[in-house]
Amino acid sequence: MKFSYNWIRELVTGLETPPPDLMRLLTLKTCECESLEPVGAHFAQVVAARVLQVEPIGGSQNRKAVVDAGPLGRRIVVCGAPNCRPGLVTAYVPPGTVLLGQRIERRVIDGVESDGMLASGAELGMNRDHEGIVESAPAGCLPDFLIDVENKSLTHRPDLWGHHGMAREVAAITGNKLIEPANPSRIPQQQAPVSVSIQDFRLCPRYSALVFHNATVQPSPLWLQYRLQSIGLNPINNIVDVTNYVMAELGQPMHAFDQDKLSGATIFIRAAGEGERITALNGESYHLTPAALVIADSSGPIALAGVIGGLDSAIGELTTRIVLESACFHAASIRRTSSRLKLRTDASMRFEKSQDPMNTVRGLARALELLEIVSPGIRLVGGLADVAAPPQPSHAIELPLDWLIRKLGRPIDAAEVLRILESLEFGVCSRQPGLFSVSVPSWRATKDISIKDDLVEEVGRMVGYDTITPLAPVVPAAPPPDNPRRRFHHAVRRITAAQGYDEVYNYSFVSEQLARRFGFHPSAHVAVANPVSSEQGLLRVSLIPGIARNIEENSRHFDSFRIFEIGFEIHKRQDTLPDEIPHLVAAIYHRGQDAGPLFEGKRLAECLMPGCELSPAEPRLFEHPSRAAQVHWRGTPLGRLFEFHPSFVESRAVALDVDLELMQRLSPAEKRYQPILRFPASAFDLSVIAPQRALAGVLQQQIASLAGPRLHQISFLRLYEGPPLPDGAKSVSFRITLAAHDRTLSSEEVSAVRDAIIEGMRLLGYDIRI
Amino acid sequence: MLEAQLQSLAASARQRILASATPEQLQAVRVEVLGRKGALAQISKDMANVPPQDRARIGKLLNAAKTELEAALESRENEFAAQALHARLDSEWLDVTLPATGPRPGALHPITRIQQELEELFLSMGVAVLDGPEVESEYNNFDALNIPPDHPARDMQDTFWLTDGCCLRTHTSPVQVRGMAKLGPPLRMIAPGRVFRNEEVDPSHEHTFYQLEGMMVDRNISIAHMLYFMKTLLRRIFGCEVTVRLRPGYFPFVEPGFELDIQCLICGGSGCPVCKHGGWVELMPCGLVHPNVLRMGGIDPEQWSGFAFGLGLTRLVMMRYGIDDIRLLQSGDLRFLRQF
Repeated sequence: MKFSYNWIRELVTGLETPPPDLMRLLTLKTCECESLEPVGAHFAQVVAARVLQVEPIGGSQNRKAVVDAGPLGRRIVVCGAPNCRPGLVTAYVPPGTVLLGQRIERRVIDGVESDGMLASGAELGMNRDHEGIVESAPAGCLPDFLIDVENKSLTHRPDLWGHHGMAREVAAITGNKLIEPANPSRIPQQQAPVSVSIQDFRLCPRYSALVFHNATVQPSPLWLQYRLQSIGLNPINNIVDVTNYVMAELGQPMHAFDQDKLSGATIFIRAAGEGERITALNGESYHLTPAALVIADSSGPIALAGVIGGLDSAIGELTTRIVLESACFHAASIRRTSSRLKLRTDASMRFEKSQDPMNTVRGLARALELLEIVSPGIRLVGGLADVAAPPQPSHAIELPLDWLIRKLGRPIDAAEVLRILESLEFGVCSRQPGLFSVSVPSWRATKDISIKDDLVEEVGRMVGYDTITPLAPVVPAAPPPDNPRRRFHHAVRRITAAQGYDEVYNYSFVSEQLARRFGFHPSAHVAVANPVSSEQGLLRVSLIPGIARNIEENSRHFDSFRIFEIGFEIHKRQDTLPDEIPHLVAAIYHRGQDAGPLFEGKRLAECLMPGCELSPAEPRLFEHPSRAAQVHWRGTPLGRLFEFHPSFVESRAVALDVDLELMQRLSPAEKRYQPILRFPASAFDLSVIAPQRALAGVLQQQIASLAGPRLHQISFLRLYEGPPLPDGAKSVSFRITLAAHDRTLSSEEVSAVRDAIIEGMRLLGYDIRI
Repeated sequence: MLEAQLQSLAASARQRILASATPEQLQAVRVEVLGRKGALAQISKDMANVPPQDRARIGKLLNAAKTELEAALESRENEFAAQALHARLDSEWLDVTLPATGPRPGALHPITRIQQELEELFLSMGVAVLDGPEVESEYNNFDALNIPPDHPARDMQDTFWLTDGCCLRTHTSPVQVRGMAKLGPPLRMIAPGRVFRNEEVDPSHEHTFYQLEGMMVDRNISIAHMLYFMKTLLRRIFGCEVTVRLRPGYFPFVEPGFELDIQCLICGGSGCPVCKHGGWVELMPCGLVHPNVLRMGGIDPEQWSGFAFGLGLTRLVMMRYGIDDIRLLQSGDLRFLRQF
């Protein structure tokens, strides 16, 4: 929202604070001012001029005009505007003036030296009119500064959506006096020519209106156009401009209807009928439901309450009789309607902040004054139509001084608190020392201020947060509650990174297309209802698609790499929040067609889960069908280790995907010491001749179970294929170590175990080489 | 006679030992002189012919020569061994400037690094580290934080809504709600984590980023306490004293609410492109916990009060490392990630 410095100055007596300082003060005490922009600097040079004489220039559209530029004397300019005519009073821009970033110079056009120029409204920054030069003197147009305020910082302040509200803050900050621009006593106490019927006071707490006759619809005076244009409101005609002016000044949105286009003399504020339609001022037609509130006459909707007016009842060039609406609507209802219709207007933005019902008549009073200026001869007919909900009883807020001091964390005396609250127009009385009873002004009472905590802010910001000295809180020295899961994840990160894996972060989203490609059915995912793009359509049920994309992209730059991610798989649950299961996915990529890095991945698994085992697993869509394994630890399957299917990743890439929740649960809580063997162990080697696809892990288990209780350790030694072994056979060698804790085993005992293993393995169908 | 023979033998053997150029030559001397069939053995045999009165003397001479020659041999052998070792070690020269073997250590993501650093800092200050889910209920993300339905503050955060009515959390603040329920007062907690806003992505906007929520609830917590805490935190984060200022900011879950700015660390407050020439950089929203939020967290606001803040971890990471494109953080691009 843009605020005009000049406008604020008009409303604050004797304000001398320069714009940059004012901006800083407002930022520190009221709202976030983002930038300061000078506008209309050229009005220091531009003067009114009367066109005296206009002559054509041969072979040119342009004409030569002689103007009387008042204090600047008689000037000759070249002008292309069709409306340049003798007698016209317009705006003259002398050479040296900067207009729209360009310096106007004295220069020869079509053989005539032009001493400056005559300017259009658009060139002067007053409106969007490029058609011709302005048709009146630029009186009342001055260089100004615009303070741009971040709208978010005004979310809770309906009163700051107009210059007068901001001026009130300025007056409170600088100690100057605030001027009240509206004078409701000018509205006569008479019967109103229209009546108002409000169906539901909750949705429309107040509706006020005035009727004017004998209006002339024409462009507004330039000063008014300039003021609206500067703050981003497009000048339209004098009547509409006045409604916008009042909105920008008092924060009260208004709307003008052409009375001759209304049916009947009653204005209804009611829920829209199912299927009712309205064509709005923007030319769009809207289908309504009873959730929308409309302003209607006896034949149908004439406006979408608080959002936009209807086209059929709009002010036109021939309008002479006007119904001027100034109302207050329920914030949430306006917000719902405007977001459902995707129609955010200057009015809806204000109403959804909870406007002050007390403001409606002020708005009308101010409009009355302005209409008399912009539409000479206009006549107010009758008195005020005003229907309002019974006023809400206002509760004073009890504010104990000692409580306030404890919240602020700095001392403050009662007089200072009183001064601050009164400068912001709070009503304060103190029946007993140290306790204020604070009544909230109507413009702060709709949503903003209702409890004593809200007053801490009022006092704090005005006294200045920079006057508060930081103070260490006194707290017991106690260790904080532990978060074992987070510690565990950090440990996994550390170990994985130490093994050479670089950490990546991927989005929690997958597209439907990507999910399908990896064989995950879209319906198994939690779906986003309003994604910005299809890339964010679903929440990931696996980290693999993200990692696969990382592999593909990084393989363009690196021949080999290791990456990992710790993130959450999000799995749908019925009637409750989804399960978010932490997973580790680590991947290794090597360009080329060598054996592949599966055992590098297995090494990481063993670093993380000492003693974990792999078993061949049914391959998933994206897994190499002969290189996919399930990872088991302490008897529980908790993940996968696999090589990517070549149609998913060219070259060799392996991924380890482990459920960290299970891994954490299976991690040994504590370690117990085992006594070191005191007696020598005995070891011997055995080679098992087995079919090529027999699993070494299974052979090892079989040997281990045959070895009996004396088995101390069994370890894989080597694998051999080739002559003299027959095709399709391999030799797997193990070292078996036997030991006892209480003695050295005799050679007979060792031989007996060895024989039992050989015998057992032969019975299982394996040949044994010794 | 034998004595002269012995002396000449010893002299020549001594000469040959010293002259031997290789361990093999030395070995030949040992065999010829000290071997079982060697010259000295021959002399011992010939001792039988020595007159008895000379035997003891010559025997002594013989032993002395033997001992001496053995010592000479051993010393020469040691020399050869030392030479051989030296030669071997010399031949084992390595170019120590070649790269290390094994995988290079991996890099932790910059957000992980800063997050862990902050977690350690807070743990040392007695603050618990809590987690919350990425998918939140509308109640926890909004209502329990004093943002009722149709509140315009809901527009402050573009929300990813899910088809089941839940949403992706738009801030880490719902963990305040969870934290109050879990810990009860008094409490000190932080909650770092991933949050989501439904926005188009460009160099300075992301739909996925990281925040760190902080909350302290105790008796009589004031703005002064909050300021102290924030300053301590920032001093540690930036490694230097930072000048902060509070200004009003609107967040429905705090009252009063603030934006905390720090004086620009690049220009020291005189104005530069980083601070958009304002001298101050907006760093984190904070405030005293709104009594409604305490109440909804089951805490009596008449008994307890607190402050809360939300630190933009992603912003902090970008400031710390001078990262100018937010998209890099979730790009998975190792050319970027390996720099950390």
